[in-house]
Amino acid sequence: MISRLIRLSVILGTMSISGCGSLGVKPWQRDVLAREDMQLDSNPIDAAVDDHLYFSKEASSGGRSFAGGGCGCN
Amino acid sequence: MAASCALLGAGAARSQQTAMAPPDSGLLEDWSVDSALAYYHEDGRIQAIEPVVDVAKVFADGHALNFNVTFDALSGASPNGALPSRNPQTFSSPSGKSQHQYTTAPGQLPVDPDYHDDRIAVGGNWTTPFTRLDQVTVGGKVSAEDDFFSATVNASIAHDFNEKNTTVSFGVDNEFDSIHPIGSAPVPGSEYELAEKQTGGKTKDGVGVLLGVTQVMTRNWLSEFNVSIDRFHGYLNDPYKFTSIISSAGGTTGYEYENRPDQRTRESGYWENRVAWSSQISTALSLRYMRDDWGVRSDTAQLHLRWSLSNRDRYIEPTVRWYRQTAADFYTPFILTTQKPTTEFESSDSRLAAFHAMTYGVKYAQKLPGLGGRAESEFSVRAEYYQQTLDVRTPVPTALQGLDLYPGVKAVLVQIGWRF
Repeated sequence: MISRLIRLSVILGTMSISGCGSLGVKPWQRDVLAREDMQLDSNPIDAAVDDHLYFSKEASSGGRSFAGGGCGCN
Repeated sequence: MAASCALLGAGAARSQQTAMAPPDSGLLEDWSVDSALAYYHEDGRIQAIEPVVDVAKVFADGHALNFNVTFDALSGASPNGALPSRNPQTFSSPSGKSQHQYTTAPGQLPVDPDYHDDRIAVGGNWTTPFTRLDQVTVGGKVSAEDDFFSATVNASIAHDFNEKNTTVSFGVDNEFDSIHPIGSAPVPGSEYELAEKQTGGKTKDGVGVLLGVTQVMTRNWLSEFNVSIDRFHGYLNDPYKFTSIISSAGGTTGYEYENRPDQRTRESGYWENRVAWSSQISTALSLRYMRDDWGVRSDTAQLHLRWSLSNRDRYIEPTVRWYRQTAADFYTPFILTTQKPTTEFESSDSRLAAFHAMTYGVKYAQKLPGLGGRAESEFSVRAEYYQQTLDVRTPVPTALQGLDLYPGVKAVLVQIGWRF
């Protein structure tokens, strides 16, 4: 699985680095991307509280960030 | 906030986006504060109160610093791993502050009714741009409980390409945990009644790496893709969990402390897409696949939909999350006497069982006038309902049929937040 994921990330990366045609915007076109709701971590505390809940109840964690929990709850 | 901030891929690097205050001259009031008070309640089990405060500042030269403090106060009843029985079951528990006994009524899931723990965690991150297109983030966190101490350090580097439409990031983290079980750690796989203990504390350590690519797809669409691997080594047991030993007639004849492998490697792929559908509506959809060498496979899908109102002065954000996992290879809800003596790994911890879970949530946030020199603040309230349903299909002796052997989890989370 991980080799497939790496292949997919390499493809995505290659597409990006090569400036693949329609991807991306010009600097003056970032008005929508600058909105608070378009930030990848727009609600970091909500995410941290949820991650803590799921870390203590499920076998999986991380993905969005590192998987460690720093908690004795699991 | 600069749009380029959104292009930080690695989790450690993302934290600088918490800042709401603009870069400024360095006055104390330029620090932004994000705070919350969460209350978590499980049906008939644990409840927790969790205050969190995060302070952050982006300096005029692009450096960013943040600190956060989290406190958890947990109390209530915690499952001990044993199976419900037709007869009363009496246990001697080391959890909580002192040794005590408790009895579980017939047909009920055995839980230690006097579970109590407090946890405090302190963390911070420092981000330094060292070229116009590169930045490094270093951070750390320490966390302490009655019987557990954890220290984590992390570092990541992020590089922008393609007119800052693409960011590639790479991060590593290293976690060290020290466990001092109350009443000492039981010998893994030993008989519960014999109370065989190991001397001294236990440790485990983990190393994780995360490679991320963040791509501006269009003017309204941002995509992030991460792959990560982490490997933990050391004491990975839950010292308070044990497994019922069941006769073929369905009677509980004893218990055995769980016995997990001493290393675990997890791999995951994560894909998030943020799309602004209009000036009012945006969505964040994330998908995650994870697997480990214990045999657990999991899929997760989560959708946030934000509906902004009143010229973005307030918003409503419903959320739904779906999760499922397969069981660890050594998960077993009970051990049959005919399987004794067991020499292999085993655990009845339901977190290693096959199950699926749903979360439904909604958040409301309202912009308010700022304090001091700040332009604005934001008050929010949110609620979530989490339900976990076990998918255990192990055949059980006839005498146990009809009992609710795997009740799952039902929990509610309520949180108020304030940013200024």
